Amino acid sequence: MELNPIITVNDLHFSYPKQSVLEGVDFTLNHGEIVSLLGPNGCGKSTLIRLILKLIHPNQGEIWLDNKTINRYSHREIAKHIAYIPQYNNVPFNYSVLEMVMMGRVAKHGFFAAPSAKDKEVAHESLHRIGIDDLAQRPFGQLSGGQKQMVLLARALTQQVNTFIMDEPVSGLDYGNQIRLLKLISQLSTQGYTFLKTTHYPDHALMVSSRVVVMNGGKIIANGKPEEVITSSMIRDVYGIDADLISHNRHTWCIPTFNKGIV
Amino acid sequence: MLRFKTFSILSSAMMVLLLIMVVSLLWGQYPIDFHTFMGYLEFKLLGGSGNDTYTLLDNIILQIRLPRVLLAILIGSSLAVSGAAFQAMFVNPLVSPGILGVLAGASFGAALGMLISEQWYVVQLLAFIFGFVAVGVAVLIGGMVSNSRSTIMLVLGGVISGSLFTALLSVIKYMADPYSTLPAIVYWLMGSLTMADLHGVLIVSIPMILSILGMVALSKYFDLLSLGDEEAKALGVNVPLIRFLAIVLATLASSLSVVMAGMIGWVGLIIPHIIRMAVGPSHRLLIPLSAIVGAIFLLLADTVSRLALSVEIPIGILTSLIGIPVFIIVLKNARAAWN
Repeated sequence: MELNPIITVNDLHFSYPKQSVLEGVDFTLNHGEIVSLLGPNGCGKSTLIRLILKLIHPNQGEIWLDNKTINRYSHREIAKHIAYIPQYNNVPFNYSVLEMVMMGRVAKHGFFAAPSAKDKEVAHESLHRIGIDDLAQRPFGQLSGGQKQMVLLARALTQQVNTFIMDEPVSGLDYGNQIRLLKLISQLSTQGYTFLKTTHYPDHALMVSSRVVVMNGGKIIANGKPEEVITSSMIRDVYGIDADLISHNRHTWCIPTFNKGIV
Repeated sequence: MLRFKTFSILSSAMMVLLLIMVVSLLWGQYPIDFHTFMGYLEFKLLGGSGNDTYTLLDNIILQIRLPRVLLAILIGSSLAVSGAAFQAMFVNPLVSPGILGVLAGASFGAALGMLISEQWYVVQLLAFIFGFVAVGVAVLIGGMVSNSRSTIMLVLGGVISGSLFTALLSVIKYMADPYSTLPAIVYWLMGSLTMADLHGVLIVSIPMILSILGMVALSKYFDLLSLGDEEAKALGVNVPLIRFLAIVLATLASSLSVVMAGMIGWVGLIIPHIIRMAVGPSHRLLIPLSAIVGAIFLLLADTVSRLALSVEIPIGILTSLIGIPVFIIVLKNARAAWN
């Protein structure tokens, strides 16, 4: 398969006044991939995502989006290329699900233009594709965590872009919703969408990824096929625990080992 | 469907406002009956032969009641819309022009203007500048103590900012001539619509209406900004630009209300809350509806106080007396949504 890069990151450095977060990151996201960013808390995963979305600015290095450096894009133009799905959080005002989903259309409007009938149609269609039509009139604040995450995914669909960036999409979801969301990602991927997602779970990375990128201490320390990258030694190096990798039904699972009771 | 709902809600509210406006023009110490009013209206609009009654009506309606009615509408609208805009900008349902210190800052600016200059535009400009400085102080203090998006810290920042400018205002009062300037400042600050004259109202109406229309035009972005900066940016909103415009417009509208009628509290806090409870939080309806309902509220309060009481109560005192219990009820009902 010929690689067709969407996002390319070269020698990226980022630091807060007293703390260096990224120390020379090179990274590429190609068309059609599902890339899982794996790494412990504070390794720089979320920082990398925020840099790509131009929410913060690097101290050094370059980010390219479709052959143009990100500095030449406005947020509006970035939103026409990438949809960002944040971790769901509480909104102080209780918008309906439909209102929330329609907000995904803002980059498509003129500056003062009001949302049109077409925007509403796109919003309903997105809800339908995620399978949550019935939530349209419910207040967003009263949904469960899983439903909220699905709504944010529907909102991303209304942006009508092919690249999705997700920050810890399954965090706070119960087990069933975690698996349902991963299935949805894998389904959408077969329909031509590209995903970059951060995750805390090696298991999830093994389940739904075409490539895994492991970060630690602000650097990328491994990058490749999930089964090749996620190994017992990598888990020990990065997370400081022992784990076995077990193959079952043509799938690899990561199982932490408990030697003396609870680790 | 959505548009039809929006349109019908806004037009019904507008009808109510017009009705109260007519009632307010007709009722008072000298009641005017509807028939006479229609005749007068016809005479004013289409010309024709006038008589002595119409000269008297010119005095009562054009010189006395109309400026006051228009001012109540303008100020009610400005304060309610500014309150809704500030609440969206700071992602904080507890802020308003009063709570952020804008009214205190603008009062100080306007009083300073009265002290150093006779020029009307100097008073307005200083009111706006210090209103803006007051928001800045509130945000700085709120952000200094905690970096995160803290509802309470911003409110406390506003309390500090408000106190600072109230103290500075006291300095101005202390320095003012106790026989002329001081009583003027004190009475004006209590919040009063009685000093309205048509010319002054028409002049100030231009920037006020433009600010309100500007906020209505930006209202679709307010929904997005209330999701938080990063989410709004990622969805394609130019957050610094929208926030700057909205804060300037909201500060301008509320500062001018202070210049015209002193400190009128609570309108900017309670009206957006009541509307949110009634029609939901979407700002594309909330902002224009706040403009109309804010106007209805203040006009109604002023009309009732004018009719029911033999003595004039400054409107600022009245809105506080009404606003506080209403806000307590709102707080109780809305608490669940904020957590």
